[in-house]
Amino acid sequence: MLARPLVLCLLAAAATFSACAKAGNGAAGTFTPRTKDTLTVATAQIPDPGFWYGTFAHPTGGFEYGLARALAKRFGLKRIKVVQVPFHELVRGHLGGADLALSDITITDERAEHLDFSTSYLEAPPAIVVHPGTEVADVKAARDLRWVVQHDTTLKEALEEQIEPRTKPLVFERQSEKLAAFEDGRAEAMLLDLPIALAYARESPRKFAVAAQLPSEAELGVALPSGSDNVEAVDSAIRSLQAEDEIDRLARRWLHANIEEGSAEDIPVLRTDE
Amino acid sequence: MTAALIEISSPKGAPYEFLVVFAVLLLGPVVFRRAGIPGIIGLLVGGYAIGPHGLSLIGAGNNTLPDLGQLGLLYLMFAAGVEIDLNLLMRYRRSAITFGLLTFILPFALGALVGFALGWEAPAALLLGSLLASHTLITYPAIKEAGLAADPAVATAVGSTVLTDTLALVVLAVVAGSVGGHKSSANVAVQIVVGMGVLTAFSLYALPKLAGWAFRFLGTERSVRYIVAITAFLSAATVAELFGIEGIVGAFFAGLGMNRLVPNEGQLMDRIEFFGGAVFIPVFLVSVGLILNPSVMVKGETLGLAGLFILACLGGKQLAALISARLFGFSRAQSGLLFSLSAAQAAATLAATVIGFQLGLFSSAVVNAVLVLILVSVLASTIAGTRAAARAAMPDGPRPLGKRVVVGVLDPEHALGALTIARRIARADGGVVHPLLVVPESAPFAPKPALQRLSEVVAAADVDGQVMTIVDRSVLHGALRVGRAQEATLVLVAEPGPEPAGEQPWEADGAQGGAAGGDGGRAPRPVAPGASSGRDEAPAPPVALVRGNATRLGAVRVRLDDEELAPDSLAAELARRVSSGAAQRLEQDHTDWAELLAPGDVTFVSSELGETLAKLPGAGEGLVVSTVAEWLIREESAGDEDAPDTPGDVRAV
Repeated sequence: MLARPLVLCLLAAAATFSACAKAGNGAAGTFTPRTKDTLTVATAQIPDPGFWYGTFAHPTGGFEYGLARALAKRFGLKRIKVVQVPFHELVRGHLGGADLALSDITITDERAEHLDFSTSYLEAPPAIVVHPGTEVADVKAARDLRWVVQHDTTLKEALEEQIEPRTKPLVFERQSEKLAAFEDGRAEAMLLDLPIALAYARESPRKFAVAAQLPSEAELGVALPSGSDNVEAVDSAIRSLQAEDEIDRLARRWLHANIEEGSAEDIPVLRTDE
Repeated sequence: MTAALIEISSPKGAPYEFLVVFAVLLLGPVVFRRAGIPGIIGLLVGGYAIGPHGLSLIGAGNNTLPDLGQLGLLYLMFAAGVEIDLNLLMRYRRSAITFGLLTFILPFALGALVGFALGWEAPAALLLGSLLASHTLITYPAIKEAGLAADPAVATAVGSTVLTDTLALVVLAVVAGSVGGHKSSANVAVQIVVGMGVLTAFSLYALPKLAGWAFRFLGTERSVRYIVAITAFLSAATVAELFGIEGIVGAFFAGLGMNRLVPNEGQLMDRIEFFGGAVFIPVFLVSVGLILNPSVMVKGETLGLAGLFILACLGGKQLAALISARLFGFSRAQSGLLFSLSAAQAAATLAATVIGFQLGLFSSAVVNAVLVLILVSVLASTIAGTRAAARAAMPDGPRPLGKRVVVGVLDPEHALGALTIARRIARADGGVVHPLLVVPESAPFAPKPALQRLSEVVAAADVDGQVMTIVDRSVLHGALRVGRAQEATLVLVAEPGPEPAGEQPWEADGAQGGAAGGDGGRAPRPVAPGASSGRDEAPAPPVALVRGNATRLGAVRVRLDDEELAPDSLAAELARRVSSGAAQRLEQDHTDWAELLAPGDVTFVSSELGETLAKLPGAGEGLVVSTVAEWLIREESAGDEDAPDTPGDVRAV
């Protein structure tokens, strides 16, 4: 009585199984690197305090470098190769042949048109960075400052929409140019992602002070080429690293260690909805 | 000008997000049910529609809905534990355990086999097996509605749920514990074993005691009782997470621990179901829908995975149902009922899948494949349930004695003993107690203070039931009327304290004599459970009188003759439930009657002996339960002929 349904079930199972087995997809997705045994990572700037240390040829540490190593280990890849790609190129989907980009990239719908993002790995609200001694009591005081900002970043949008400065801000293509303008006094304030801002303030307290953070749900994510088959695998890997506390450990080592004199929670949130 | 005066911005913020979510809660199930598709699917699809893969009304970075969904997930598992009928598991333990093991092991083995064959790592393959092995009793309400709740196959499947879900969650705990951190396998094993031990002790031993205490001392207000229940499962989830075990395991265990305290038809369960069904669980389902991605779902790979999951799950469940039906001599229709009740995948499956996704064990393709499985399993079990219910024979036999107990009370100060007995009887059958305040027709009586006092006594007796009021000529008559209206399985009457002299106030006006009336010439006989009136009307519920006011039950004794102790007699049945079958039988010539009234001791006697005991010094310290004389019921019922609003004659055999 059961023979016919059983045979049908077994046949169906065999057909489905062979289809799935051909796809070769693990439960958490399968990562296929562009170069055998190598994870190729694109980033805009090294060194980048807290996130990348060393050089492109020989990165030595940092939160995102640690994350790249953890991803490579999870995917069973032996080597990491880092390539430099300008930030405005990265957010337009040009990864310079890399498998993925780790470069403080905030997840936005606009960028998602050119890139695929993993689930977020770090919260990164915009932070107001000023010279030590400069007070920013409220958004009105912030508006009166001379600002510098980088082109094609979410920070530029935040400055224009939330702060609305009275004088036109200086705009640069590169982070290094922005930093130079701030350091030589052409600008009094700039926005940085909070973890980066805290890292700068920790490493150069005479040059940088974090005055406030802006209300935001901005988060950083791993960027992959649009339509990449590796999204599932990277996404699962990030969730796995979060569940295993690996990302917390990296943040404590490379970011929280930098912010022990003032955690993110201690930085006041500037109300911008008045 | 106008633009300067009125500034309208695009909707955003928490109120807007909640509006969007509640619109889905409102419309999702309604629209899908109209199309003949279960409402759960409407919530999942609604979640997709508002999520990042749909209209993006709730963005990818939103944390409010996932956080609320997390609470809903814990709530879902707590509700699953608290709703399980442990009584059925006990009554049909042999078949329930056998079927529970089969319906767990077969899909588990097939699921794990599929995972391993696809080259998955062991944790993912085992988790897949466990999530296919659990089940949710989605079709139970419909089968219950069809009058098949007492069918042995239905009871077997319902009873087995506790086993399958517990085993599935234990596998989840082991898998989740083994994938996190950098500990050795031995450390992980020790941590999980110790954690499960602590969690079991906390949830099944400490929590019921703490909650029972809270119900008694804090729980006169409904909201307080509800908050106690919420706190209970959150505390168990926290204890679980202290040991690295997923919170849902703690929530489920908390449900099992609180099971006896929260009767299925009680007020607290009603509230748990209401808030769970209206908000928390639907919000969880909507939050799961956010992950749903049709572009992933329609991929050949996802559908292939779904096909394998469906074959492994439904094939294993069907095989388990067929083997069990053969082992226990169930009919084909009953085998269909077993399959229908055990095939539906929802609560535990979804919970384990979401945890697997959060741990990075499963990709969104696997999650979407599981969602397809849930859809197919719900539809398959619904169809199988409808067909099997149409073919299955209606089971006979009365409802358990403690399923619905009405306790008639005239004086709240003397209600504690009867409520305590009622609670014990109801818990034995997983039933509910309805306290009833009977306000005398003639007495100048303000019911509100008495009702308030009775509510306090009800809470002190740890009873979870709706306190009702009726104006009637006597407590017995009032309790009988309400008992019939409520389809009670038992009516207990709390005897008021002794009056100094003259007429007992609880007796019927005009009734000649009474249960305590002392007409020893007419020997009363116990009324058997489910005894019929002798006509074609609905059977009158059996009635017993409780004297005394003790809160704790001590030794249980019976002092009845052989005829009264017949297996189907009310007194014998009551004594068995109250004493768990260990009642001490007193000899006929027992002379040390004072001993029978030791505080907390319960003595089951016939009516006239109850009257004798009540006159002894110290009466009231112990509890005396006597069956109400049938002639008294007849006298009470005879008065109904003059009262057109009564529900009908109450006649005893």
